[in-house]
Amino acid sequence: MNWVLNLLLLIFLVCTAAAAILIKDLLAAAIVFSAYSLLMAILWTQLRAPDLAITEAAVGAGVTTVLLIVTIYRTVRKEE
Amino acid sequence: MRKIMVLAALVVIGIVLLYAVGKMPPMNSRNTPDKTHVVPRYLNEGESEGGAKNIITGVILNYRGYDTMGEVTVIFSALCATIALLDREKRKVSRSGVDASGVRASVIVRTVVRFLVPIVVFFAAYMILHGEATPGGGFQGGAIIGASVIIFTLVFGLPESTRRMPLKARVPFESIAMLGFLAMGFIGIAFGVNFLTYVLPGLHGSLVDTIRSQMLMVIEIGIGIGGGLVFTSIVLAMVREDEYELQPDIPQP
Repeated sequence: MNWVLNLLLLIFLVCTAAAAILIKDLLAAAIVFSAYSLLMAILWTQLRAPDLAITEAAVGAGVTTVLLIVTIYRTVRKEE
Repeated sequence: MRKIMVLAALVVIGIVLLYAVGKMPPMNSRNTPDKTHVVPRYLNEGESEGGAKNIITGVILNYRGYDTMGEVTVIFSALCATIALLDREKRKVSRSGVDASGVRASVIVRTVVRFLVPIVVFFAAYMILHGEATPGGGFQGGAIIGASVIIFTLVFGLPESTRRMPLKARVPFESIAMLGFLAMGFIGIAFGVNFLTYVLPGLHGSLVDTIRSQMLMVIEIGIGIGGGLVFTSIVLAMVREDEYELQPDIPQP
């Protein structure tokens, strides 16, 4: 049962990673990147690395997303 | 032509990476050096040598203390670079929200954030103080503190945030992570042992463990408060709203 969850998480991880690169709307890309970090955090707990999971959830999904969004608001939203 | 060159570069990098992966030991192999030497050492003696029940905290602060101090320096340098580029935040215009629309966040969002932020900060304090025994530690707790302040700023706006956490209150503590770490490192030198040695000579019995855990706690709290304030200051320097003064046609909320 555990491997099914892990497989689903990994598939979504690859999907979000590809989407974050391919999406032209930078705000949407930042949100997708946040989802990527959240999936990665769950995977860290699956790999029994709770310290890393906490860091990934706080820094990756929280602080980095806000920094990216603030940067987008101060520059332009659309990729060339 | 350019696409072909990019493709060729990617193919070469891919081949090199696949070759490197092929040279790696098989997964879960029990004969690699980390399984025969490193992991047993940490698991068996990490608690007595590292001075923390959570072995990861012992590794981060003790076995690789220099490395962690480098990371703290990197975070502080990021703050210095952000301030050098963007200057400190201004506190003149009173508008809510990070975007220029001037629309206040809805009452649901404001109520939920007002209710949630104290709990998040409480959890961060637990994480900093209890990082010795459970997963987490100073850096994680600091990041959570920073995230809570960021949520508050995004919903209630920069002026309210800087009123609650004024610049004058943040500045003295931003460098506390580095200074605390350095001070604890130099205590070892003062006692005649190496830099960042927590086991001090001349002490006996349980005093050695007590002093060591207190020093680790000082470092953890320093990293927690300093890291959280550095995150806060970076974001507040980025969302400063001084350019809204140039747009007088936005209605006041």
